[in-house]
Amino acid sequence: MHEYILEMQDIRKSFFGVEVLHGVSLQFKAGEVYGLVGENGAGKSTLMNIIGGVFPADSGGMLLNGEKYKPVTPRDARDARIAFIHQELNLFSNLTVAENLYIDQLPKNAIQAVDYKHMRREGGERLKSLGLDISPNALVSDLPMGIRQTVEIAKALLMNARIILFDEPTTSLSQKEKEYLFATIRALKESGVAVVYISHILEDVFELCDRVSVLRDGALIGTRERDELNKDDIVSMMVGRKLEHAYPVVEKEIGEVLLTVKDVQAPPMVKGCSLELRRGEVLGIFGLMGAGRTEFVRAVYGIDPLKGGSILFDGESIQKPAPKDCISRGIAFISEDRRGEGLLMPKPVDDNLILAKIDDIATPMMKIVPNAVVDKLTDISIQELRIRVSNKKLQMATNLSGGNQQKVVVGKWLMLEPKMLIMDEPTRGVDVGAKYEIYSLILDLAKRGSAVLCISSEMEELMGICDRILIMANGRFTGEVHKGSFDPKTIMNYALQGGEENG
Amino acid sequence: MALNNKASYEKALRSIRLKRLLSDNAILVIWVVFFAASLLFVEGFASAYNIKNYLSNCAPLLVVAAGLTIVTLNGGIDFSTTSVISLVSTITAYILVKTALADTIWAIIVAFLVGLGIGALVGVINGLAISGLKMPSFVATLATKLVFSGVAVWFGSVFYEKVSLPGLPAGFTAIGGKGNPNYWFIPLLIALFVFVLIEWLLSKTVFGRRVYAVGVNPRTSQISGIPVRRTIFFEFLLCGLLAGLAGLMYTGKNRAGITTLGDDMFVNIVGSVVIGGTSPAGGFGSMRKTLYGVLFLTLLSTILNLLGIPYTLYDVIKGVFVLIAAGLELVTRRMNIRAAAKAAKMG
Repeated sequence: MHEYILEMQDIRKSFFGVEVLHGVSLQFKAGEVYGLVGENGAGKSTLMNIIGGVFPADSGGMLLNGEKYKPVTPRDARDARIAFIHQELNLFSNLTVAENLYIDQLPKNAIQAVDYKHMRREGGERLKSLGLDISPNALVSDLPMGIRQTVEIAKALLMNARIILFDEPTTSLSQKEKEYLFATIRALKESGVAVVYISHILEDVFELCDRVSVLRDGALIGTRERDELNKDDIVSMMVGRKLEHAYPVVEKEIGEVLLTVKDVQAPPMVKGCSLELRRGEVLGIFGLMGAGRTEFVRAVYGIDPLKGGSILFDGESIQKPAPKDCISRGIAFISEDRRGEGLLMPKPVDDNLILAKIDDIATPMMKIVPNAVVDKLTDISIQELRIRVSNKKLQMATNLSGGNQQKVVVGKWLMLEPKMLIMDEPTRGVDVGAKYEIYSLILDLAKRGSAVLCISSEMEELMGICDRILIMANGRFTGEVHKGSFDPKTIMNYALQGGEENG
Repeated sequence: MALNNKASYEKALRSIRLKRLLSDNAILVIWVVFFAASLLFVEGFASAYNIKNYLSNCAPLLVVAAGLTIVTLNGGIDFSTTSVISLVSTITAYILVKTALADTIWAIIVAFLVGLGIGALVGVINGLAISGLKMPSFVATLATKLVFSGVAVWFGSVFYEKVSLPGLPAGFTAIGGKGNPNYWFIPLLIALFVFVLIEWLLSKTVFGRRVYAVGVNPRTSQISGIPVRRTIFFEFLLCGLLAGLAGLMYTGKNRAGITTLGDDMFVNIVGSVVIGGTSPAGGFGSMRKTLYGVLFLTLLSTILNLLGIPYTLYDVIKGVFVLIAAGLELVTRRMNIRAAAKAAKMG
């Protein structure tokens, strides 16, 4: 047995003659949870892809248990018993759990057809032996995100993985699912698996990891043992500067009431919600997964049907909300699903930025969209939001990092100078530096007199930027806390009041 | 990114631009090569008569393919275009020859209006079924295709007693370039007008931007305030209208009403759009690309005809070339995508 199960030595990698990894050396130990943090674009994915055999390193080498490891295809990584749990789960949602577990080595029967019986029986037993109460016949599309991830982990365990790399595994999990995931990871560690844990959520990394390394701009900045972990220290290593506060401080004034929502219903998730929102105010809605917060704002914006209640915005009643109508009234909406509902992923940055503005800038009669105006507006947006893009016409949204993608979505709406901005999970999958910038944008908007309604499952984030937080549980608001008296325990207690467990 | 990498980044960007230019115009390049080779090596190609003939074959195909381009940009399909062509041909010929209006200027005016009206009607039915009832366009237009080509054949069987009705007045056949040797350029002018109009509509107007956005992602589009259903409705309406116009042109060109006129055209229509490089998955492509596709496919037919290749082999040879062309287009596009992704990683 070697001290390290996997050693990466002086790994270098260039794309197009530009080096993106500048000689990174890392060592992973069996029975250890190793944290890897860094802003998007720091080189984490490139490093993972090199371990996974997606593409080779230009120089440097890897030792697996002391022996040379040079994967050429992802299959080599699998044969070496290295498993990956990706942020976007790699399950086939149209297949059953059992089929997913065996997808790369389907058992055959006597006539060389797939042996479903064997698969179901064996798969079911393996799941049970892992302590998972999941039917092997369940369709993955019917399972909640948290369970799906467990299936992925089960898949990794079925191949007897020695090393498991988790990439942002908690982004779509509820608190309860997260705790379950952490328990699983600890159990994996106990059984001698080397776990590599990549995440933006520093609290999680601190809770789980035995050692943490920080990558920045393709270089290893430093490694800390568990007992010397310190948040300020890690954050400043990540961004290369010391952050004064994790949240920007903006002096602003709260004005008169802009939005009054009364007893809004959108069954089955939203069972009567009322709130008031003032100009200049940042109102947060906190709730656990399944509390109905997303469904509530979607009904208010008219994406999902509104089945009761009244909405009064800027002195006018909105009878039947619809996105187009809401936009013309000055409401903007940032979905939690950036790829599916926020961006045109395969389209260039400028097309994405201008999308909601085309009607405004078109000539009145012929409805021509003047390219010069598009160019000017998108340039301003890129500059003001500091979107890191080298060529807005050639670079597609899909090629941007999470933080830059979100800035494009925010930029699209800021262009309309909305009176009210609804944001669902504004910083999901966004790196620390870009998070801070997005918070500043939100607060600046409020300072200019707009109202902001912000939903998040990160409590700390809401406490950092909101003037007031409403807590939602089981389809209703269960509590309200004001800035100055924010307290995680109080908020969590309200959030648990729904009486129903969600998962 | 370090400063000393700037030069190599610029170089990468230049290479992306070049590759993009190539992939955007792959079929045009192939067309130029084929056209030049035909001028040199194919007997009878380099004659005024043949070139005229070639262009007038392109014209109506471009008009109907223009409509399908719009629908394809949304990831949709319209099978009913061919049935519109058949039905327009059947009905307008009847109006021109067999009604009380026959031999008057009114017959021609009514025929034009009815032709466009049929196209619009089919477009409206498709549009309502697809945007209103949320039917897949594959199903809805397959159904309308069956209905309207059926109506055409039935109408012919009752009122013509055969599949075609000749004897159309010269005032009408002019739209297909026939009836007077000097009319040959009329279909070209119509096609040019349609080309400019649709290219302008797609690249310069609000409607065009909406078509592309909805084609890539209707959810994002809806949330960003784009009237998704209205956009889809107008796409199919336009497609039907243009098919109606093409039906008039084909009828004039053939100087007869033919109840099965559109029957074997579908491969050429869809072929032109897709070979040109408009993605059947939606969101990517242009009117310009469809022009290249029309020029290329029609050129292929012309060459085969001149070389005296048996008609029975046309489809085989066309198919092979279509595969080669589509393959080339795909390869260049992938190069393009990879290059863009790499540059983005560096940027």
